[in-house]
Amino acid sequence: MGVRLGLEGEGTDAEVVRDVLAGDVERYAVLVRRYRDRYARFASRMLGSRDVAEDAVQDALIRAFDRLADCRDPNKFAGWLFLILRNRCYAEQRRRQREGRPLAEGDEAFAGPDRPDGTLEQLEQGRALDLALGHLTPEQREVFVLKHYDGLAYEEIGQLTGATVASLKMRMHRAYDRLRDLMREHR
Amino acid sequence: MITGYHPLVKRLLDGELSLAQLPPELRAEGEEALRLVGAADRAPVALSPAFEERVMAVVRRHAASPGRRAWRWLNAPREVELRLRVRPWAVWAGALAVAAGLVLLLARPAPSPEPRGGTQQAHVGTRDSVLVRFVLFAPGARRVAVAGTFNQWDRSATLLVPAGTSGVWTTTLALPVGQHQYAFVVDGARWVVDPAAPAVADGFGRRNSVVAVTAQGGRVL
Repeated sequence: MGVRLGLEGEGTDAEVVRDVLAGDVERYAVLVRRYRDRYARFASRMLGSRDVAEDAVQDALIRAFDRLADCRDPNKFAGWLFLILRNRCYAEQRRRQREGRPLAEGDEAFAGPDRPDGTLEQLEQGRALDLALGHLTPEQREVFVLKHYDGLAYEEIGQLTGATVASLKMRMHRAYDRLRDLMREHR
Repeated sequence: MITGYHPLVKRLLDGELSLAQLPPELRAEGEEALRLVGAADRAPVALSPAFEERVMAVVRRHAASPGRRAWRWLNAPREVELRLRVRPWAVWAGALAVAAGLVLLLARPAPSPEPRGGTQQAHVGTRDSVLVRFVLFAPGARRVAVAGTFNQWDRSATLLVPAGTSGVWTTTLALPVGQHQYAFVVDGARWVVDPAAPAVADGFGRRNSVVAVTAQGGRVL
């Protein structure tokens, strides 16, 4: 999730951020379009619900706008926005734990649109994995989602989250073991 | 029961090994593990079509809010370019002036509190004697002495020193622990009791000031 250049004519993140800070508020829509779906995937897997994820992404984008002047390096807007969303996801998880409402279980399915090319078995496996994610710790879930859903390398995840590669691998390997058990129970 | 993957299988999932690099007895476990992570659906999650408009409506509202606008204006970092046109000799002169000011500041003695009238201050000296400072405010006096039980009432034995032209006269004596009576003698003839100390009758129609000296310092009775 490094710097993402915009579509032709829309400008880079840094250009858009500078325009918005200079008073062109409408330009912020470029950043909304650029990151909404991508971060919705992360948030939906972290929170176990597409609706809750939509609220989280919306809050993160609005909070980012309100604090745009604090974004020290506009070239790294994507990573800065990710940290805001990540904090929002963690806060939501803590709130749900306090209220005794664990993630995933009983929530609306958080799978995205069905893969048209997927077999029934693959779809079923995908949904089972989505549900199993809800039983991981938030830290384990985060590293699994970023690596296997978003396709990031450990080094990229470390840059985003501030964790070392060694600690990320440790979390991930525990997540693999836990998921294996959960998927076996599902069968 | 937790049945974890073999460490080599975890490296396969991390992308550090290929299936062919696994020992034959681990390949089935490796295939199962690959199926697990392969179930991750990487398709984008579609948000509602009104999402963008909803966010932008809030953004426009926040942008128009006077309070938020003021905060953004105050908080927005700005580049400031400062241009100075100076002559080299002026820089050197300024630096010398600053250096001279610092030297004068450091060389200046620490100011001492000025007494407004006759006061006594005592400081611990040796174990058996204590330094006692006598102070008298006597503007216009030509000479001031202190006479007492500690110098056999010798009116010329202990002179006070004027502190500049302020009218304040001072001297410091090492007095033994105990009680002492004293008086100031102005211009060799006029006896003056210490206005800041208690006084007792001397039995001859006059009064003497009294200072009690303890190991912790002087005490005015």
